[in-house]
Order: sequence, then C-alpha cells, then structure tokens
Amino acid sequence: MVTPTPGMMEPGGRGVGPTFSSSQEGSSTATTMPRRECPGAGGRRGAGGDRDSIPMGLLPPRSESPRWQQHDLNHSGYQIDQATHYDTTPPVRLPSATAGHVSMRFRGSRKMSLFPVGEAALGNLGLSEDDIRNEMENEEQILVKELVAMSTRDRIKAIRDLPMSFDDKKHIRGQVLALKSFKKSRQLNCFSDCSTSFSLAFRRCGANMTSARQTLELWRGTMKEVGGKFGTGVLSYFKFLKWLLMFNIFSFLVNFGFITIPQLIYHPTPDIPTGVSFKGLEILTGAGYFSHTVMYYGGYSNKTQGTGGWPEYNMQLAYFLTIAAYMVLCGAALIYSMASSFRKKYVLADSGLGGAWQLLCSWDFSVTNERAVRQRKNNLRIQLKESLSEKVQVALLPLTERLKHYGVFLGTWLLSTGMALGCGASVYFLCQYDKSRTRQSADKASGSLLEEAATLLLPFVVSLINLVVPLFYSLFKKIEHYSNPRMQVYAIIVRNVILKMSILGILCYYWMKDVANTFSCWESIVGQALYRLVIVDFLFIMLGSFFGEFLSNVIGTKCIQSLGVPEFDVARNVLDLIYAQTLAWIGIYFSPLLPVIQIIKFFILFYLKKVSLTQNCQPPRRAGRAAQMQTIFIAILFFPSFVGALSMVAYTVWTLPPSDKCGPFRGLNTTFSAIQIWMDDLNRVDAFQWTVWIYQHVIRSEIFYFLVSLIILVFIYIFRQITQGRKLLIILLRQQIVNEGKDKAFLLEKLQTLQKSKQNKQKNKKQVRKRQEKESTGMLQALLARQRLEQEHGDSSSSFGVPMPSGHSVSTTSSAMMQAMLAKQYAEDQDVASYRGVPFPADPAPASSSALIQAMQARQRAESQNEDEFYRAPVQSQNPVNALPSAMIQVMQARQRAESEQEEDEFYREPVHSEHPVSSMSSAMMQVMQARQRAEEEESEFYRAPASSQHPDASGTGSALIQAMLARQQVEEEYGDRY
Amino acid sequence: MGNKQTIFTDEQFEAYQDCTFFTRKEILQLHGRFHELAPHLVPLDYTNQPDVRLPLALIVSMPELKENPFRHRIVEVFSEDGQGNMSFNDFVDMFSALCETAPRELKTIYAFKIYDFNVDNFLCKEDLEKTLNRLTKGELTPEEVNLVCSKAMEEADLDGDSKLSFSDFENMISKAPDFLSTFHLRI
Repeated sequence: MVTPTPGMMEPGGRGVGPTFSSSQEGSSTATTMPRRECPGAGGRRGAGGDRDSIPMGLLPPRSESPRWQQHDLNHSGYQIDQATHYDTTPPVRLPSATAGHVSMRFRGSRKMSLFPVGEAALGNLGLSEDDIRNEMENEEQILVKELVAMSTRDRIKAIRDLPMSFDDKKHIRGQVLALKSFKKSRQLNCFSDCSTSFSLAFRRCGANMTSARQTLELWRGTMKEVGGKFGTGVLSYFKFLKWLLMFNIFSFLVNFGFITIPQLIYHPTPDIPTGVSFKGLEILTGAGYFSHTVMYYGGYSNKTQGTGGWPEYNMQLAYFLTIAAYMVLCGAALIYSMASSFRKKYVLADSGLGGAWQLLCSWDFSVTNERAVRQRKNNLRIQLKESLSEKVQVALLPLTERLKHYGVFLGTWLLSTGMALGCGASVYFLCQYDKSRTRQSADKASGSLLEEAATLLLPFVVSLINLVVPLFYSLFKKIEHYSNPRMQVYAIIVRNVILKMSILGILCYYWMKDVANTFSCWESIVGQALYRLVIVDFLFIMLGSFFGEFLSNVIGTKCIQSLGVPEFDVARNVLDLIYAQTLAWIGIYFSPLLPVIQIIKFFILFYLKKVSLTQNCQPPRRAGRAAQMQTIFIAILFFPSFVGALSMVAYTVWTLPPSDKCGPFRGLNTTFSAIQIWMDDLNRVDAFQWTVWIYQHVIRSEIFYFLVSLIILVFIYIFRQITQGRKLLIILLRQQIVNEGKDKAFLLEKLQTLQKSKQNKQKNKKQVRKRQEKESTGMLQALLARQRLEQEHGDSSSSFGVPMPSGHSVSTTSSAMMQAMLAKQYAEDQDVASYRGVPFPADPAPASSSALIQAMQARQRAESQNEDEFYRAPVQSQNPVNALPSAMIQVMQARQRAESEQEEDEFYREPVHSEHPVSSMSSAMMQVMQARQRAEEEESEFYRAPASSQHPDASGTGSALIQAMLARQQVEEEYGDRY
Repeated sequence: MGNKQTIFTDEQFEAYQDCTFFTRKEILQLHGRFHELAPHLVPLDYTNQPDVRLPLALIVSMPELKENPFRHRIVEVFSEDGQGNMSFNDFVDMFSALCETAPRELKTIYAFKIYDFNVDNFLCKEDLEKTLNRLTKGELTPEEVNLVCSKAMEEADLDGDSKLSFSDFENMISKAPDFLSTFHLRI
C-alpha cells in the first residue's frame, strides 16, 4: 500500500491522539480532585499532622502542562525504538536524519506531503513540532517496513510513485536497502546471494535496454517540437502514424524473413517472361514487370524447397503460417493497446466539457511555443466567453427550433449515407468496366503504356472520392448545430468510416466474386489493385495536404481573411491513415511485400505532414479530448478496419480456390488444404501424432469452437456484471464524498454554535478551565493550605476565643493560629497591594502555568478564609472584617459564585475536555482576574491599614508563613505580568 | 556533456534510476540542461553532491518552462525551500513528476499543489481566479472571471464547502483522460 492517500484527516487525527489523551488525563485529575476535597474536609484534623511536610513554595513549579510531559515520554519511547533501528541500519539513518526532517516538514511525508500548512493547523491544536516530527518519523518507519516487504520491482515502482522530493526518496530508499541487506546478511546463504546479484544484473540489463530503446526512438525531437507548437491533440496524429509505422516494419520483417528470403535463396531471379521489361510506370501501377516478381502472391513457388544440400523449406506452409501468425499477432497487439487505452483514458470520462475542466485540466503543459501559448490563451478566453453566453442560450431554445435541428440532422445523415452508398455503387460499376478492360488487355497480352495507365483509373476514382467526399462532409458542420462539439466530431468520424468501409466492401466483394472467378492468376491481380490503391492514396494524401492545408492557408491569409489559417484536422488525417492501413492488411496475403510500400509511404508522410503543419496550420482552437479520440481511433482501426481485413483474408484462405497456374497454393482446392496435406504427412510419423490429434480435435472440431465461444460468452457476461457493479460502486462513492462534505459542514456548524454558547458562558466556565489545567500537586497544596488555615481558624475560635487582630502581635499564642492569621491577612493585603501597583520582589522567571495553579490555590485559600471569617463574624467582634458587613457580603457573593461555578464544573467537565483548554485559557483567566479584582478592590478599603503594619511582622514569622507569602507574591506577580 | 564517469557515480545513477522515471541517459541529459542554465555555477562533477541551487529566474528561463503560465508555481512547488531555488535533485524531481511515465496519482498530487497558489491545501475561489487569469492573460473582466470561477467551483465541488479539496480535484481529474498526456513536460 503505497498509493499516497493524502488527506488531512489521517495525520491530523493521529496527531491529535496524544494531546487528546493527555488532556483527558489532565481533566481526570481535575475531576478527581474536588471529590478528594470532601474527605479532606471531613478529616481535617487527621490531615493536619503532615501539613508541614509539604512546603508550598518548594513545590516545583509546573512549567508545562501534562501534555508536554507525556509527549516527552512518548518521545523518549520513540527514541528507544529509533535506537533499535540504528542497530539495524547504522550507515543511513544518522547523516540524513536532520536534513531529512527539514525537507520532510516542508514537502512532507507521503500523507503530509500535500499539506505543508496543515502543520500550522495542527500546531493550533496544540501539536508541537516534535509531535509532528514523531508522527512523520513513525509514518516513515511504517513506509520503510512496507517497502522492505515488497519485491524489488514493486519497491522501485512504489518509491518512484511517492510524492516526495528526490532527497526524501533517496533517504527512504537507502533505509530500505540497508534494512534489506541487514536482513539478508542474517540469513546468509548462497541462494539469496545469487538471486540478489542476479536480480541486480537483470535490473541493470533492463535499464540498459530502456536507454537503448530511447536512443533508437524515432523522431523524438520532432515530436517534441510538434507537441510544443501544436499541443497534444495534433501530436496524437503523429504518434498514431509512428505506431502504424512500427506495425508495418514488424510485418515487413516477418514477411520478408519467412517468405521472401527463402524464395529468393532458392530462386534468386524471378521468372520474367520475355518481352516484359521495367518501364517506370510500374512504380505507379504495380503491374507489368512487378507482377512476376516476389512482390505478389504469384511470384512464389509451391515447391518444398531444399533439394540438393539445402535444408527443406515448405513454401506453402511458410506462406500460410507466416500470414496467419502475423494476423494473430496484429490482432493481439491491437486488442491489447485498445484495451489499455480504454482502461487508461476512457474509464470515467464524463460527457460535457465543464468549466472546471477548462480551468484546471485543459492546459497543455507541453506547449512551449510562444505564439502557440498566446493563441491558446486567446482560444480559451473566447471559449469561456462563449460558454458564458451559451448558458443563457440553451435554456431559451424553442420547440420549433429544436425540431428544425432534428430535421437538419436527419437530412445530413440521409445525405451522407446516400452519398456513401452512391459512391459504393459507382465504384462497383467502375470495377465492372475495369474487369472487362483487364480481360481485353489480358487477352491481347501486349501491355502498352496506355493500357497500363488505364489501370490507374479505378484507384484514382476511389482516392478522389476519399478526398472530396470528406471535405463535403465537413461542410455539414456549417448547417448542423450540435450542442456538444464532440458529438460533431463523432458524427464526422462515423460518416467517413461508413464511406470508406462501403467503398472497401464493394472492392472486396468485386475481388472475391468477380476477379477470383475470372482471371487465371487472380491473387496477383488483386495484389496489383491493392498496390495501386496504396500508391494513389499516397499521392492523394499529398495532394490533399497541398490543397487542403497549403492552399487554404494562402487563401486564408492572402485572399479571404475571414477564413483564417486552417487548422490541422486530426480526425480526417487519422482516418486517412486507418484507410491506408486497412489496404495494407487486406493486401498482406496477395502481396506480401506491400508493407515495404507502406513503410516508405508513412515515412514520407510523417515529414510531409510535419512541414505542412508547421508551415500552413495553426493550433486547434478547441482543446478537444485528444486521448479519448486516440482511443476511438484505435478502436476504429481494430473494428471495421482490422476485423474487416481479417475476415476478407480468412474468407479467401478458407473458401476460395487458389489459382491453378501461379502462387504457392496452386493445385489445391483451398489454401487451407496445405495444412491438411501437412497433417497427412505428419500422420505417418508417430512422433507427431499429438499435432495431428490437436488438428483433428481442436482446430477442425466444431465442438471445440462452440465450447470456446460459450466460455467466452459466460466470461463476458460475468465481467459485464462486475462492470455494472463497479459503476454502481462509483456512484455510491461519489455520493459518499458529497455526504462527507455535508457531514463536515454540519459538524463545523455545530462546533461553531457550541463555541458561541460557550463564549457566553465563559465567565462561568473560567473556573472549570482553570481546574482542568490544575496539577494534582498544586491542587493538593491548595487544599492543604486551606485545610491548615481553616483548622487553625477553628482552633483559635473554639478553644481560645482570642480577638483576631491581636493574633499577630501576641506571639505566645499558638504559632499555627498566628501563621494562619498572618497568612490570611497578608494574603488579602497582597491582593490589595497588587492592584494598587505595589512593587513586589521579582521572582526569577516563573512559568505561567505554575502561576495559574498557585493563583488558584491562593484564591481558594482566600475564599476559605473568607468563609471562616464569615462564620466567625458574630462571635469575634474584634475582627476588623466583621465591622464591615458590606465587604463581607461581597466576599460571600464571590464565594457563592465560585461555588456555583464549581457545581457547573461538574456539568461542564465532560464537554470541556473535548475542546481545547489551552486556547481559551487566557481569556478565562482574564475574566477570573477581573472578577477577583472587583471583589478584592472592595476589600482593599478595609485591609489597607492593617496590611501595612502586618507586613513587617509577617516577615518574621515561621517558615510556613514565609512560604505562603512567597507563593502569594509569586502568584500576584504573575498576575501583574500578565496584565 | 563530458565524460560519463565524472558526472555521477554508479551509485548515484542507481539512486536516480530507482527514485525517478529516468534512465541513465536522461539523467545525463538533465544534468546537461541544468549545467547549461548556469555553466559557471553548476559543476560538471556531481560525484561529491555539491549543494548548488539555481534561483527561480534561471530555471524559469528554460525553453520548456518559459511560456508556461504556471512556471513560477511549478518551480516553487518542486523546489525544496518553496521559494524556487532549485538544486539538481529538485530539478530532476520536477521533470520526473511531469514526465510521460509518471502515474496519474503522482501527477494529480503535484497538479493540485501547483494550482494551490496560497498553499492552504484547498483550491479556493481565489486560486481558481489566479489560474484563470494566468490562462487568459488577465483579459477577462472581473465579473467574467468571477462567473467562470463560480461555475467551475459549482461543478467540481462535490462536498459543497465552496472550495475544492484534494478528493474533489482527484475526482475531476479522473474524468479528464487527457490530463495524463497534457500534464507533461518534455525534455
């Protein structure tokens, strides 16, 4: 699993993990603490014994939240893991570790890669850099493990596909290789060693092959130039041309190697009858001199060669099997490329060119020509404007208009089909004329130049039809109004294919029915006809590019400016190529060397078209879907073209009697009889019985074909069902994306409303949040301090009844009592002083969270003292607090508020730790402070005087007091710093 | 281009071949192109992995990129520092991800990054507007730009958050069979 699944959710979700758990831990301490308070209050006296053992000021200030600590643990845990990894891969890990992170952080690992900013968001969530790094390293480790488990080939592919920078890839590759070699070295054996070196050698060999192939790659520079100037759409024509050229080169090699060379070895000189000599016109007509050479079927002998020292070579079998093998290979290659093209480029293609597509997918990055880029930009602008105006138009189309459109469609289709049929009929009549003429000339057997030229009439007419009628078809687009430009292109393609196929069908019919029964060496006649067709077609393509492109360029630029420079019509040109290739395939049986002509033709055509394109044409206005068109062209090449040619050849081979006087199959009933004879021969040899058996029971048995087609049908049905299921699945998955988007929006909305309501209650929640942040020790400290104070108050009020103000001056009373009082008074005094701007002794750099904690303690303590005072008030009239009831009431109110908040705390705790405590902390604290300030400012009026007097005394009292004071000072200073 | 042996070691070649879609020859060719850009800066000998970075302005002046409306974004996305200063490895990376044989997934990821001008991991309307302005030389009126962008957004935004997430983008690319061949820089 290395396909990158970039999504923020995963790293984000995982990254939140540790934070979340830590905040849970923090909140769990907060939840348990208030509960602990209750038994603490009940057992005050019991707890009082060890109260001094926890000095307040000496408590280590908790500089960080528990998250950090836990994170540190995590980190160290991970480092241990890493350390074990060091053992396995010592050379790689160390040097690149730091450099890797920098880039990893920027470009990211496979999942983070897309989201370099996601980090900031994660950071807001409280993720530290270390967290992210850990996460990344974790992921990297997982990735490396995955990669190690793969085979070499898969691994290289997977590494290549990683969306990382090269350095990261290299780093991961190094790790993988090191780990791999480490594993290997543990299980040292000869086999693995051998296989490693073998696979390495194999890979090197493969790489060399690839570069060799690239060196041999034809027209690389030209392709780049064309692609740079005209874009991928036009380039696809040249690619197609090159692909066909490869087909023909292959076919030439096969035919030449297995048919022509043996023939030439045994019969180096062709049997040319006297009186026939090379005149020059043969190059065009293919008749005359050529008809007696190995160019055509007639030039091959039927003998089993190899008498007199030469190895035996059965020409009949060679001829038949070569053609058959070539056809099968061609078919397989076509099916393969068609299927892969469909898979890659046609899978999910939706109809309609959308705006988003035009924006994000239509730009051709390979275009490098400045003019072309400008033109493309212009075209895109015009198209976008058009699409904006079209939107309005389409909706307003009335019914009559639509009916008119349908009428036009019907008319144009009828016209085009009628024209195709008419052309077919005229070709047929021309064929009849040609037949009678050929028969006359064959009777005369003279072969004058004029007669030879007359043979060119039929191919000339056919090519003319092929040139003119498509141009006529292209005029239709002026009157037709397709809503989709692609539909228009499809319509033109379909019409052209109908035309070409009907002409070829008529010709084939003529050859099969008439020529085969009329002429003595009819295969050669057909071969000649095909040769002429190929040659004349070539001439007409050249003419076509001259007239179609050069002339219209001249007219467009010089005469009628409105026409403009012509565009290169990819569809028409590719259809010409397909037509030419069909001719070559049909002719393969009748003229085994026809691929030579085809190769020359395509080679010249490539340069011709390139020159014509660069001189005369402009880049296409509409960025069509070139890849889709290419798939369609391959499909056309397969279906009517190749299948038609194959069926024609198969029909010839299986049913038509070969000519008696020439060719390798002379004297046989059908061509296929050659196989029958061969099998009879083999039957006599025991070693080849199995071949005969296969022939009898497989190739010639109907049941076999019946079964095969049945199985294929079943498979087609199953795959069709699977496809249907997948289509359904795709719809469902799309729906899922939509649904998830809705979910996301809903959750976000809910979160926002929740946050709003929280903000309203934030004043209430300040306490809750503070407590969440509290450390257990801080809490304990606060509790203990409070307990101590309350206990001491209780003691003093119940047993002694000494007036409170004198408590600090009477040093003989219990020190606890004194300390408590002093602490209380001092604390209050401090509160007052802090808000009046009294400077405090600076505590060296205390951390903020400890300040918060201590603030909490102090506040609790202060409140507890207030409580005590309140209850004591009627008893001890000496207490100055008592004398000021209004202040006390306010204190009470503050306390009640605090208590009610504490209750709320219980309610809000659950939702609170799902959100982030840190982010809203400061505002909550501010509100706490403000509330407190308000409450204490009231008090300050009354405590000011005693505070000043108490202060020096307080400094002289016991260590507990000092500690309390220090703590208070620290707290207050923190508050002061903060505000 | 000089002697083959002095530019890269065999190990370096292996690493390049394993991590990119290029052959040895193409790597050398790329090095040649990189060297051409700044002959005085880029050494011919890369065996000791010199840390040479070429600024964005130089890279963008390559004929392959010169006319590309997204040239700055491409170079920024592929440069390690995000500012467009490219080392040779970044350079190889760029052409590898944009070569013919790179798989659709990889190309999609980088295309998304290129179109994501403000690097917020979403293609928002602002990104689309920038894209459109680059594609049309900024000759559309602001209203037209706005209209086209909202139409495009409406069309491609499946989850309705009025910005294109990566999955939206991927889904759109999956319907554009041409993308593989057009998102392609030839060297």
